[in-house]
Amino acid sequence: MSRKKKVVLIAFLTLLALFVVIEVVAITLAVPKPAAEIAATLEKSDPKEAAKIKAETAALDKKIGALAPKTVYIIIDSARNKLTLKSGEKTLLEAVVSCGSGSILEEPGGKRTWVFDTPRGEFQVKSKVVNPTWVKPDWAFIEEGKEIPKRREERFETGVLGDYALGFGEGFFIHGTLYSRLLGRSVTHGCVRVGDKDLKAVFQAASIGSKIYIF
Amino acid sequence: MPTARRTRFRGVRAVAVFAALTLSAVVSGKAQNDLLENRLAKEELALAKAPSLYFIIYLKSKTIALKSRGMTLEEWKVTSIHSWGQGAPLAALALNKKSTLYPPQRAKIKPAATEEETGTFELEALELKDMPSRFTLFLTGDIRISIRTKPSGFWPRLGDVGHVVAWNLWVPIKNLAFRQKKKPFGAIDLKLEKKEDGQSLYWALPDGIKGLVFPL
Repeated sequence: MSRKKKVVLIAFLTLLALFVVIEVVAITLAVPKPAAEIAATLEKSDPKEAAKIKAETAALDKKIGALAPKTVYIIIDSARNKLTLKSGEKTLLEAVVSCGSGSILEEPGGKRTWVFDTPRGEFQVKSKVVNPTWVKPDWAFIEEGKEIPKRREERFETGVLGDYALGFGEGFFIHGTLYSRLLGRSVTHGCVRVGDKDLKAVFQAASIGSKIYIF
Repeated sequence: MPTARRTRFRGVRAVAVFAALTLSAVVSGKAQNDLLENRLAKEELALAKAPSLYFIIYLKSKTIALKSRGMTLEEWKVTSIHSWGQGAPLAALALNKKSTLYPPQRAKIKPAATEEETGTFELEALELKDMPSRFTLFLTGDIRISIRTKPSGFWPRLGDVGHVVAWNLWVPIKNLAFRQKKKPFGAIDLKLEKKEDGQSLYWALPDGIKGLVFPL
């Protein structure tokens, strides 16, 4: 073996050895440890206190359980476009719906931007309307390439929201649809579209104040 | 004492000591579990009082739960868990950001230019299938949680091999670097069963959501 090759080989082996040493140190130091807080909590553990702690945990669990809705509530899975009507642990209805498309609309000139997401979190039914009229917001006119009307009456459109609507704040509704073939797809501007039959059942079961959980 | 009796006595004593140690370890383990359950209940109650969604990662039970008001809205099963460095603090952590190689892109709606265009409909939705199934959650307290799913196909399998190498070689070095800077570091690797599980988890955890990571 030539001298040059030997030097290269030695350098390579030295670097490899250095890497192995660093890696061994790193792995040793990275072995999972419980958070300092866990260790401190566990140090305080006293078997005599166990019964007291268990009773306190049971009381806390009861308090958590008491936070769940007492009446009918709605769960909406916006990823799978699924609505579930529940009462306690019991499922009353499961329906295929349409939620927000997640698309973005920019006003020409770039003054305003809308993101068409269905909001997530806990909401409640704030209004219940039979034969609702859609009061078209600005984005609806911009999307259609039309001028935004000055008079409020020019914004009214009937028949597009189905037979019923349940408002849950900031212009968002659970309502019917003319496009039932699109149920199951994320196509709306943030509202939740439901098929006629399911919408009627939801409308009849839910009352003002009923909780809505959207994720 | 005769030798045979002495040997038997030693044997009985050894068994008694072993039994006592085992019992004490079981009792201590149970007490520790009770304490952790108590702490979890306290932390969850604080989160459940707010009108919002939160998550809990149960490390021992290998489950991720999305909850609100104490109710489980959705649950994901984890098939394997690995971790390096410091464990997550036993307190509410916020999701600072989600990081992924190809983040989902929102479609931009082009306003209709003519009356005819108004009637046409093009479906440009951001749906579950557009979500990534491999991503990292960066939580407060310098906790990072890597989420991946069982790979299917050549490229995902290759990516998984890359992840395993990086996880076992690069992450410990990163931990070392954080120690040098006296900064906390904790990394958890969670593997889910199906691609759709990863995608729906990505969808369900918006930036800013609070949650708990508990060794229970």
